[in-house]
Amino acid sequence: MALVTKQILDTPIQHHFSPYSDNGGTTVAVAGPDYAIIASDTRLSAGYSIYTREQSKLFTLSETTVLGSSGCWCDILSLTRIIEARMQMYLHEHNKVMSTTSLAKMISIMMYGKRFFPYYTSTIIAGLDPEGKGCVYSYDPIGHTERANFRAGGSSGALLQALLDNQLGFKNQENVDKTPVSLEKAITVVKDAFTAAAERDIYTGDGVHLCAITKDGIKEFNFELRKD
Amino acid sequence: MFLTRSEYDRGVNTFSPEGRLFQVEYAIEAIKLGSTAIGISTSEGVVLAAEKRITSVLMEPSSIKKIVEIDKHIGCAASGLIADSRILTDRARVECANHWFTYDEKMDIESVAQAVSNLAIQFGDSDEESAMSRPFGVAMLFAGMDSKGPQLFHLDPSGTYTQFDAKAIGSGSEGAQQSLQEVYHDSMTLKEAINHVLTILKQVMEEKLNSTNVELCTVSPDKMYHLYSKEELEAELAKVSSIHDPSRPDVAVIGEP
Amino acid sequence: MFSDYSAPPMWQNGPALGKYYDFPNVSTNKISHNSTNGKQRYHTPLTTGTSVIGLVFNGGVILAADTAGYYGSMMRFNDCPRIFQVNKYTILGAGNDYADIQYLNDIIKQKILDDDLHNDGIALKPKSLHSWLTRVLYNRRSQFDPLWINAFVAGMQNGEPFLGTVDKLGTAYEDKILSFGFGTHISVPYLRQEREKNPNMTKEEAIACIKTCMDMLYVRDARSGAKYNIGVISNEGSEVQGPFESVGHWNIATHGTPGQE
Repeated sequence: MALVTKQILDTPIQHHFSPYSDNGGTTVAVAGPDYAIIASDTRLSAGYSIYTREQSKLFTLSETTVLGSSGCWCDILSLTRIIEARMQMYLHEHNKVMSTTSLAKMISIMMYGKRFFPYYTSTIIAGLDPEGKGCVYSYDPIGHTERANFRAGGSSGALLQALLDNQLGFKNQENVDKTPVSLEKAITVVKDAFTAAAERDIYTGDGVHLCAITKDGIKEFNFELRKD
Repeated sequence: MFLTRSEYDRGVNTFSPEGRLFQVEYAIEAIKLGSTAIGISTSEGVVLAAEKRITSVLMEPSSIKKIVEIDKHIGCAASGLIADSRILTDRARVECANHWFTYDEKMDIESVAQAVSNLAIQFGDSDEESAMSRPFGVAMLFAGMDSKGPQLFHLDPSGTYTQFDAKAIGSGSEGAQQSLQEVYHDSMTLKEAINHVLTILKQVMEEKLNSTNVELCTVSPDKMYHLYSKEELEAELAKVSSIHDPSRPDVAVIGEP
Repeated sequence: MFSDYSAPPMWQNGPALGKYYDFPNVSTNKISHNSTNGKQRYHTPLTTGTSVIGLVFNGGVILAADTAGYYGSMMRFNDCPRIFQVNKYTILGAGNDYADIQYLNDIIKQKILDDDLHNDGIALKPKSLHSWLTRVLYNRRSQFDPLWINAFVAGMQNGEPFLGTVDKLGTAYEDKILSFGFGTHISVPYLRQEREKNPNMTKEEAIACIKTCMDMLYVRDARSGAKYNIGVISNEGSEVQGPFESVGHWNIATHGTPGQE
């Protein structure tokens, strides 16, 4: 005790400044043969404080692409704004809307461009590729990217990826029909995933915002999660 | 006009009272001295052919390059000051590579033409922000395949780029353009187009057409950019020389040689 | 060139020429205690302001904050208003470092002045101010030189109430109830409860709720003051009311908790 008191008296009080904060949140995305879905919870938090219960982490970037991101919220806001600006510039320069595959590459480069002061985010994009097939790309904070059929990211990413591996990738199942799931089934799985995450993860909850992307456009859904 | 030089000849970016930029107009005149190059865009692909002026028997013909590859899907033919064209093709290559690197897709031909035109208009007297002290004395044809299909773009020294179904540049361009207008139709095959560009080139060239004084390339969905080898070129030229052959009615006859 | 040059100590652990003796653990010669040896760009909050609370009612928004300026645990200043009228559409509230709040407020005042000089009838709207703050604060945090501020923007835009916040990192969000500091723990649960009971609160009901919150904060928050301002904005315009004064009684402490009166 005396040692602690001495230490406090000896060292000047330092408010340590960190440019990052962990604002929690989970995103899940699934790619199907002719659809893609992406969903995020709507809780924005820091530590034990819930900032707001109604902050979607999805950003509709075009008629065929939606981005979901969780982690450091101020970085997410900045990253998505710059992406939106870059897409606008691309539209004006090349007279066409940036495709999901092009966007996937551009985001990777933008994130790696801040390799030594990264955007602290877990980002996923979902959409239709130029062939009309569903696609999902996920990123680490410094821009490593990978195309996948389903991906979970954010505070419950590790928890839910295993669930998706089993339910959508048919991993560790025997005598199972491995045809890709339908859009309706995928939405059900994603809903269940969030319900499960909200039970175990204090940074995930309140509600889910879901976007289903098909050739007919983007349909949005909202449903409730537990709020404690 | 050329003999009565005025003070508006001095500054490259100074308009004359008639609203003309003389240096740009002179540059456009300069490209009319260049060797002829012709391009035709068909639904099956695009073809480019360019004349090479072999001015000496001691000259090594293969060292003259009028048609170059910009990217796997784009070819480019130049006429005028070929040294200037090198700066522009270098930029086109960098833009294509950069576009692929950033967006993981082939750059559209129109975007390439726009990017190169951005460089072409950056001429001026001031040291800063100028790429060149004078306009680039070269006209270019960009031929390629992109998301919109086969494309042919023309770029002139004023930095203007325009899309064409068929276009000729260089000293023989006036006559060649007239011939192109007569033969061009929407349903032309790539084979026919190759025949047409060589035939027209043959008409407008002073030298006799042979496999050393002409370059030929096609950009098609299967092969993308393909520059014809000496052997391939000879095979194509053989078809052209048989245009009067009544046993080959499939080969179009274009005027008298 | 020789600015980094210093003579060696005259004996081991002794003073160097032209320097004072370096007593163990208490450095008199080194300016910075920062061990990273790099330039310490960011400061720490000195004079601070505590809670800010914001509430959306039917047709408007309220912001409230007390006027105490604290220097650590000492109540150093009495009159540090933290609710500012920006223009007829917008009110700004802020907490944490008071110097940074004044600095930011000065910039915003200049912006409004520039805006008015155009005399085009176009004024900065709340969403624009909120977005602008996001960029300013994020840029400062990216330079490791943050403005130590939690800012709240309240206003009316397209006839709809707007309430948003930005922190020193640029973390931004909107909600019907927002707060900073102790208010997060004391006021938000109460306000959420009241809004749930009465989603279409009138201005008067909302003001009553906010005043209750300020009374609760005065007794519970050690770094609070009795005097506070309230900013009210609706379609009729914006105004900063007050200062009001909390009397401080413990009846309020059990507010809304039956059986604990």
